[in-house]
Amino acid sequence: MSDSEDGKWGIAHVYASFNNTLITVTDETGAETIAKSSGGTVVKQNRDEASPYAAMQMAEVVAEEVKAAGLEGVHVRVRGPGGNLNKSTGPGAQATIRALARAGVEIGRIEDVTPIPHDGTKAPKNKRI
Amino acid sequence: MRVAVTGTPGTGKTSATRLLESEEGGDHTVIHLNELIESDEDLWTERDDDRGSLVADLEAIADRLGDWDGILESHLAHYFDADRVVVLRCAPETLEERLTERGEPPAKARENAESEALDVILSEAVERFGREHVHEIDTTDAEPAAVAAEIEAVIDGDREPSAGTVDFTGYL
Ligand SMILES: Nc1ncnc2c1ncn2[C@@H]1O[C@H](COP(=O)(O)OP(=O)(O)O)[C@@H](O)[C@H]1O
Ligand SMILES: [Mg+2]
Repeated sequence: MSDSEDGKWGIAHVYASFNNTLITVTDETGAETIAKSSGGTVVKQNRDEASPYAAMQMAEVVAEEVKAAGLEGVHVRVRGPGGNLNKSTGPGAQATIRALARAGVEIGRIEDVTPIPHDGTKAPKNKRI
Repeated sequence: MRVAVTGTPGTGKTSATRLLESEEGGDHTVIHLNELIESDEDLWTERDDDRGSLVADLEAIADRLGDWDGILESHLAHYFDADRVVVLRCAPETLEERLTERGEPPAKARENAESEALDVILSEAVERFGREHVHEIDTTDAEPAAVAAEIEAVIDGDREPSAGTVDFTGYL
């Protein structure tokens, strides 16, 4: 269905760490990389690489490449604590998604696929005690 | 003094803290939390079969720990109240090797290495305790004895808080 008259969709992989944000856009199979950016390429200071400002700058560049590749929109896969959509730390992911949308890229499903530390035990989903 | 020693599995928490416990000639009581949870079915709620892991019951564990003192060691240690938090770090490539050499399956080594690359535990520790109580120690090129000495320095108040001193996103 995805490459019918509605045009092609891609996947925006957003990696949001404590210190940095990375964005990679691939086709829907993940095989072909269409755009790539990291916080380090848009800001001078290391400590700014995970900032919403860096994420916005990156998203603008990535959005142009997404549109140039003829993609109609992207599904978003967020990985990382900085990507947690309902927390205040590492605001990189939210800023990225907003900036992509503002630059005219349609946003589809947003999934949080953050890896979970585990070693015979793991934390429950709701970690508040 | 309560010191939580946390960090992604494979960063060397158990190895380093063993060197600090009284049974091994050190000065501290060390609670190895993963072993405690695995030995007592009151401390977990269900199994995550995909990850071969028990889902910890944080409230039951907090009750069991009660008025604990010394060192609490586990990748879950930062979910409990403590005076200082030590977060051990390790370059994800090295961490993946350490876990594989310890006999862990590739999927487990990989998911833990990815979570280390994304600073998952560091971020949780900083969010819960604030930067002023977090001490990050990079173990990538340090022997367990050197890591143990750094933890001792945190306990003695001889080490400034630190967080975000490494960027492991190159692994991704
Ligand atoms: N500082 C270190 N340098 C090199 N290898 C280490 C170090 N600390 C631990 N290891 C090895 O790495 C593996 C994981 O260590 P372990 O102490 O079990 O980590 P954790 O308790 O954090 O999961 C073990 O096989 C251990 O021998
Ligand atoms: Mg251990």
